[in-house]
Amino acid sequence: MIFNLGYLLLITALLLAVFGAGVGFWGGYTRNSRLAQSSYHAVYAVAVLVCAATGILWYGLLTDQFQLTYVWNTSERTLPTIYKFTALWAGQAGSLLFWCAILAVYSVAVAIANRVRHRVLMPFVNGVTLSTSAFFLVLLVFAANPFHMVDFIPADGSGLNPLLQNFWMISHPVMLYLGYVGLAIPFAFAVGALMSRAVDNTWVRTVRRWTLIPWLFLSAGIIMGSQWAYMELGWGGYWAWDPVENASFLPWLTATAFLHSIIIQEQRGILKIWNVLLIWLTYFLVILGTFTVRSGILESVHSFARSDVGPYFLVFMGIILFGFLWLLFDRLPLLRDETTIDAYASREAAFLANNWLFVGIAFATLWGTFFPMFSEIFTGDRISVAAPFFNKVNGPLFLALILLMGIGPLLGWRRTSLDLLRKQFTWPAVGALVIGTGAAFYQPQLFSVIGMAVCGFVLATILQEYVRGVIARQTLNEENILQSMGNLWRRNGRRYGGYIVHLGIVMIGVAVIGNEFYQQTTHVTLAQGESAQLGRYEVSYAGMETERGSNYTQFGTRLLVFDRQNGALLGSILPHRNIFDKNPDQPMSEVGLRSTLLEDFYVVLNGWQDNGQTATFSVYVNPLTAWMWIGGIVLVLGTLIAAWPHPAPRPVAYRAPHEQAAQAGA
Amino acid sequence: MLWRLFFIGILLFFLGLLAWQLYRTNVFEQRADGLAPPINFTTFDNEVIAWDDLRGQGIVVNFWASWCDPCREEAALLEATWRREQDNGIVFLGMDYLDQEPAARAFMAEYDVTYPNGPDLRSEAARRYGIKGVPETYFIDPQGQIVGSVIGPIVDPAQMEELLTKIRP
Repeated sequence: MIFNLGYLLLITALLLAVFGAGVGFWGGYTRNSRLAQSSYHAVYAVAVLVCAATGILWYGLLTDQFQLTYVWNTSERTLPTIYKFTALWAGQAGSLLFWCAILAVYSVAVAIANRVRHRVLMPFVNGVTLSTSAFFLVLLVFAANPFHMVDFIPADGSGLNPLLQNFWMISHPVMLYLGYVGLAIPFAFAVGALMSRAVDNTWVRTVRRWTLIPWLFLSAGIIMGSQWAYMELGWGGYWAWDPVENASFLPWLTATAFLHSIIIQEQRGILKIWNVLLIWLTYFLVILGTFTVRSGILESVHSFARSDVGPYFLVFMGIILFGFLWLLFDRLPLLRDETTIDAYASREAAFLANNWLFVGIAFATLWGTFFPMFSEIFTGDRISVAAPFFNKVNGPLFLALILLMGIGPLLGWRRTSLDLLRKQFTWPAVGALVIGTGAAFYQPQLFSVIGMAVCGFVLATILQEYVRGVIARQTLNEENILQSMGNLWRRNGRRYGGYIVHLGIVMIGVAVIGNEFYQQTTHVTLAQGESAQLGRYEVSYAGMETERGSNYTQFGTRLLVFDRQNGALLGSILPHRNIFDKNPDQPMSEVGLRSTLLEDFYVVLNGWQDNGQTATFSVYVNPLTAWMWIGGIVLVLGTLIAAWPHPAPRPVAYRAPHEQAAQAGA
Repeated sequence: MLWRLFFIGILLFFLGLLAWQLYRTNVFEQRADGLAPPINFTTFDNEVIAWDDLRGQGIVVNFWASWCDPCREEAALLEATWRREQDNGIVFLGMDYLDQEPAARAFMAEYDVTYPNGPDLRSEAARRYGIKGVPETYFIDPQGQIVGSVIGPIVDPAQMEELLTKIRP
């Protein structure tokens, strides 16, 4: 009964969303404030209805209502409660409902935050968010009804996919969805600005923050996904360039490009067309990614069910692509740049180069992801380009990008004099030299040494910027260092938070270099009491430990880890396999890990014989991996600093960087 | 103007490829036809069924589940036909789709089902055959070609007879 009500709520929400989108666009176009008002009410009502429907599905999951096909397929009685809760996004219909609920909440937040500031723009924005909601509601009502029921009550469900029964799978999908869905908001603003012809700089400031928030979630989601791959999939890596991973990475790339180029538009009034194109491309990549994951047109290690939603997505993508282009072409005269780029040695030129690199990486990744499809269509053979292609093409591009991350902030707007260049680049060059030499002494490998040197360069740049900022503040005010840092963040959070984000990226870069170039690995079969050696470690197999969980059995192998030089016991680890009752043919591997800041000792249990008399392991030493997760946290903190509401900085016409540093302290 | 058309052309081309690939993917997802996809499985009685050993016989593959009410309508006819035809070179295989083993065993006991029956693990066979639901029955001739299939229960003995004549060795 209550589940029929859930379906009814979705139908009502769909009707309201269509109505609200209509009055939003029409009210915006005719500047009719009563129609515009109606669109706000529709936004609120749709949110209430969709959230209520989500609540009902949650109720079904938590109370084991197996007559719901969705609950039957994604849950079971003995499933731990937390996973019953997360089963909401474990299957297709639930994910789409969850997506819809997040979009509804975003729409309400945007509507409330901007209804006064962007009076002309907002009816259109409501129109776009409601249209998007309407699309997802169409899917839920016609193609993937989460409240579909069978006319009997099954005794038990068929269980949740073991891959999803993991700590990181609780938060990783939520973060990704928050990121993915949130990117609909900048798109809505771009469409709103073009439709209302209010393409001045006021919407740009607002849209930057509304991009930063989803970007934060998307970044965190991607990092958590790598952590999951690292801990669960047990192949020693954190990123495999799989189509599903790429689907989340592509919009991240273009959104990052946009976050940079929007600064130039704010400061210099150029790249206006480019910026709306980037927003549009980002949103398109979000929908394209969802389509690829859901339609089954590309094969992926992630086992997602194929379904009937593909054609719907195709139509929606067509509307986004051509509707937006038509609008853009019509409004092109309004988007004239106010000036041009003066010199190559200027910050805007560095930003532009950064944009080209981001888009270049995005294009290469898109090409590699869809290559199997192209090859199958044109040659009949499905040829996948594997990780080496992506690493070869994107590796150097990323390196150039990181280098630019250091160079950009050292250059002034418009042009930079030679004198200033020397002054700005001395310490960063020293940083590059020191770190590069250190890396060369550790292991002389050309690419890794270059990579480390570049990371050192950027690190020194960030330090230099902070030191100058703090000194500038201290000469003007009586503050201690901590107060100065706090004030830098408070008064110019965008800039100094941005540097923290860059610091996080450098840390991730260092971890990637460590893993790509210095990873050591071996595969061994050990009998109880035997040991093996790798790097500075010796590992000895103590025996098998079996433990019963609520819906699975854990088979663990106890390993003692020793320091090879002095024989000291460093710790004990338990790589294990979980065999789930409902999915015994899909055992889940959990690695044994001893992590330090310098390197991870990482062991995967591949199998065992004779009740654990002998066992087979893959052993890895992964240098610097911990920095990937630390970098991820730093990146999130930096983004929070940058996105935190702070007083608006005045536009800078022409000012050298050292003067800006002084201004930051003023 | 020209670059706009070029831009739109590229996007249209890309969307077209996506649509084509989607269409192909769905075509492959359609119900099996022609050469029958092999089914190898272990029955509830721990008997291993190997597809290649069945060559030369007519095969009836029935997808069913204990929770499926229409499956009950055809259960008696299937079992009776199997008992009559098992010495005439006809094999019946039951594939239990998305089910719980105790419930499936109870169903089989209720209708006294004796032909080889086993769980369709990971719905592999169901996916290969692209079934629309349960019950669904495929008739495969001694050369391994699918010559007939029925969606829904087979309740008419005449219909069963007509399909069986197509697959008799």
